[in-house]
Amino acid sequence: MLKLAWRNVTQRKIRFALTMLPIVLGVMFVVAVFTLTDSLRATFSGLADDISSGIDLTVRATQEFGSDLDRPTVPDSLVPAIEAVDGVREVHPGVAAFNVVIVDGAGAAIVPQGPPALGFNYSDAAFFLVEGRQPGGPGEFAADVDTVSDNDLAIGSVYAINGPETVESFELVGTFNFGSPDEHSSLGQTMAAFDLDTAQRFLGFGDEVIDVGVVVEPDASPATVKSDLEALLDDSYEVITQQAAADEQRADFDDVLSIFGTILSVFAFIALFVSAFIINNVFQITISQRVRELGLWRSIGATPGQLVQSVLVESAAVGAVATVVGAVAGVGLSRVLMVVLRAGGFGLPEGPLSVRPRTLVLAAVVGVGVSVAASLSPALRTRRVAPIAALHPDYLLDRTGMRRRLVGGTATLAVGAVLVALALFNLFGTVVTLVLAGVGALLSFVGINIVSPAFAAVAARVLGRPVAALMRVPGRLARDNAARNPRRTASTAGALMIGLALVALAAVVGASVTRTFVKTLENSVEADYFVSSSAGGFNPNAGFPVQVVDDLAALDEIDSVAGFRFAFGAIQVNGSVKDVFAGDMSILDEHFDTDLRSGAMASGDPATAIALHVDPAEDLGVSVGDTLEVTFPDNETDTLTVAAVFGDARIYGNWVIDTSTWDRHFNRSDFAFASATIAGFSDDLDAASQQRLLDESRIAIDGVLEAYPTVQAENRVEFRQSQQAQLDSLLIVINVFLALSLIIAFAGIAITLALSVFERTREIGLLRAVGMTRRQLRRSVRWEAAIVATFGAVLGVAVGVVAGVAATVAMPDSFVTDIAVPVGSLAVYVVISALLGLLAAAFPARRAGRMKILEAIAHE
Amino acid sequence: MTSSPVQTLTAAARAVAATKIYGSGDTEVRALDAIEVTFEQGRFTAIMGPSGSGKSTLMHCMAGLDTVTSGQVIIGDTDLTTLSEKQLTLLRRDHVGFVFQAYNLVPTLTAIENITLPMDLAGTTGDKAWIDDVVGATGLTDRVKHRPNELSGGQQQRVAVARALAGQPQIIFADEPTGNVDSNTAAEILGFMRNAVAEMGQTIVMVTHDPVAASYADRVVFLVDGKIVDELHEPTPASIRDHMTRLGA
Repeated sequence: MLKLAWRNVTQRKIRFALTMLPIVLGVMFVVAVFTLTDSLRATFSGLADDISSGIDLTVRATQEFGSDLDRPTVPDSLVPAIEAVDGVREVHPGVAAFNVVIVDGAGAAIVPQGPPALGFNYSDAAFFLVEGRQPGGPGEFAADVDTVSDNDLAIGSVYAINGPETVESFELVGTFNFGSPDEHSSLGQTMAAFDLDTAQRFLGFGDEVIDVGVVVEPDASPATVKSDLEALLDDSYEVITQQAAADEQRADFDDVLSIFGTILSVFAFIALFVSAFIINNVFQITISQRVRELGLWRSIGATPGQLVQSVLVESAAVGAVATVVGAVAGVGLSRVLMVVLRAGGFGLPEGPLSVRPRTLVLAAVVGVGVSVAASLSPALRTRRVAPIAALHPDYLLDRTGMRRRLVGGTATLAVGAVLVALALFNLFGTVVTLVLAGVGALLSFVGINIVSPAFAAVAARVLGRPVAALMRVPGRLARDNAARNPRRTASTAGALMIGLALVALAAVVGASVTRTFVKTLENSVEADYFVSSSAGGFNPNAGFPVQVVDDLAALDEIDSVAGFRFAFGAIQVNGSVKDVFAGDMSILDEHFDTDLRSGAMASGDPATAIALHVDPAEDLGVSVGDTLEVTFPDNETDTLTVAAVFGDARIYGNWVIDTSTWDRHFNRSDFAFASATIAGFSDDLDAASQQRLLDESRIAIDGVLEAYPTVQAENRVEFRQSQQAQLDSLLIVINVFLALSLIIAFAGIAITLALSVFERTREIGLLRAVGMTRRQLRRSVRWEAAIVATFGAVLGVAVGVVAGVAATVAMPDSFVTDIAVPVGSLAVYVVISALLGLLAAAFPARRAGRMKILEAIAHE
Repeated sequence: MTSSPVQTLTAAARAVAATKIYGSGDTEVRALDAIEVTFEQGRFTAIMGPSGSGKSTLMHCMAGLDTVTSGQVIIGDTDLTTLSEKQLTLLRRDHVGFVFQAYNLVPTLTAIENITLPMDLAGTTGDKAWIDDVVGATGLTDRVKHRPNELSGGQQQRVAVARALAGQPQIIFADEPTGNVDSNTAAEILGFMRNAVAEMGQTIVMVTHDPVAASYADRVVFLVDGKIVDELHEPTPASIRDHMTRLGA
């Protein structure tokens, strides 16, 4: 039987190559994803060691919960005491802040795309001077070598720098490497460094620092010094070793990489799943075509089990060869991606590719596993081949009955849908949710694929009707051929269905989010201008100086300006951690209508006020006037009075505190966002007056923002457009990630059609003999592909819309409340699929056109 | 090109020094060796000969399915050797009818769709009354909406003949049209073809190795080693057998 399998492989090279293609692509992607993330992890791990290598011990405040960004600070008065401890050689107090943006000589803000713009105090433990000197006074700064060279900054020149609170000018006095003396590892961030006093003042730390690094004497033991320091300090402080600091840094990098790796892996596995459909289809077809040969084997004594075996061995061989090719291609692809990432300004240090055995084992398991699993059902069908098949030219393998198909498929689909529903309602942990959603989606797709042959023929006829009407015979043949073998059409379309279902799902969720946003803007937003940092709205670190709000508020044309900040997991109420939003509560109600159920944001003393959404209010059983104990990341607990209970969580989320409360407990002072209202503006004014107010305020605002190149103010229309554009680009990214699955699906259409054309050789010969031109024949093959593609696309869009609506319903109300189905773009997806189907059929169409008539007619 | 006035019958198709060579050097096979033959309009001609005599090759070359190495093949007024691949296809579509041994019909099309296939490919409607006559002559009027797999072998072949007739071509070529059916069915198909010639004035050229089938023709042409060695008019099965025995076939 091995021999039979081997012959099938070697004698049908083109078919073998075609079958391999989808798996090669899938394995390539998996290997590239894992190799890339492993390589980046190795690189970052080295970097984490480098960054922390200059410091033996770090003293910092303890933190019960919350982000490291919001860790309580250390008063710098503690520094001399630390320095006085026996064995301490150097102390390095440190401060750092996000959104410290240098403005280049031409007045343009240097905003990295993605990575943050950071400000520090200069520390010779982590920074290594390259040119010039260390910053040594109130008007001086140094910057990393990449930022200086990429933006043509010159030592001795004065530059404006946007800090968290103000914009000030500093003279560039030096450049430095970060991480190691010889190589700068910027990771794409920009770094500005000041002396400690200047950094504390400009970055908004006052007399505080984030932590104090300690270098011990060469003859002292870090462990001894650590316990001496711990003895000196009370338990609101902790001392961590260099190793622990490096591990924390590594864990931070790992968090980012894991998200990145997980997302990419999900797309890689989707691609493999799509490949499985194609492999399954190819084996189904080739086994139908080989029935006579299999009958011959049976008649000369092969057992049914041996036939099954031979098919499985063949598919394992396909998987094995595809794994090898895919793994090699995947390592190549990850090398290319590393080069792209380095060239793309991410400032990655050089490092070798890390191809781990785990990656190769995984590639082999998925490559061979997917291939064998996908060929299992066709392999088992060979058991039904009777020896008589050898003698009977038109012997057909009996097929699974439609009734069994409908029952089995519907049951599979139902189980899948229930699993997805369980995942959507988020009753379990993240891992369980992901597994449920993944397995559920997989079962749903398989179920649909089992059921879809039941209506594939009818669907192909309906979809093919315009084709048949437009293109007469070639169109009619295209339609009839598409409807001819429902199982084949359904599985070919099934591969495309998966990709398009995901595209449509994303489109529906995206459109729903947009509609929710637009409705919120129209119904609940009173503000006329929206101020944000040009570093991007989805980046929680994108902020701008506090002074912007003060400057705008001082304008006559502007009535009031509210600056906002928010933090994830930053307050603790009744033992559970919540996200929090902070703004000027005295004016919030003038800017946003959040469906107040009771009270008002501005009632009472803002400094001790809190507002919350009606759901947590009901859960906690509190109403306006009641008090809540709220704990902050600085480990302080405030007693706050409920000023308002509101019903719409789309703008603030569930918890709102006043700016003054934030300032008491958080280091970060820059605003993430601000809104402004125009003085005298009202909906009752006539259009001309409204326009005049808009124009005047625009001129005034632009005048203020000239000094702040990172800050932009958008009116309602502009704001809506820019939010829409951000969402659109996110959808594009998702579609790009799905492109691989779609490519595999279209390759599947080409492969299936090539096999169908081969199967219909004699018929093609006949058509050509009675006068069908090559062009007509090619057209017929191409439109058959277009009909199959359209079927897959329509099915996919239908599944995607159902899934999208379900997902939207299951999402929290603070995120999306309105459901929208973007009919226009979904229709465009279907049309594009049909066109790509036409394109995919180019190869089989050419083959069909090139067949020699006489040989085709004589074909067995 | 006009037909010679001395001919009483107009030539539907002619071969002039038609030669077909496969391979080259030692492996060269001369399938057709300077063949001169004329198929007159309104006549039913059978081509016979032993295996490898070149009878199928002659038919394929005459029909524009294959090309000759040298010489000329003329259908009506058209020299096939001057035509491009595309022109050949259109000539087959518009001026030639075909009946093959088996698998004559496109399985996805109904009988009537198969019959009108060449006209549909050309984008013309054809002569409706004529098509009705042809369908009537097949005796399958009530089954024309059926697909090929719902018809018997003989019915399928009659549909194939009807397709060849429907476009009123210059000439119809039939390659062993009864090779795959029993003798009763064969008689039914051959009678249908005979009538098409006698009553509808069609021109048919048929390749066969069956003396009984050939006896339906007006004339039998015998081929051996790529050459025409003999011919017979108003044949009977017995006279054909007689000739074949003499030719050593």
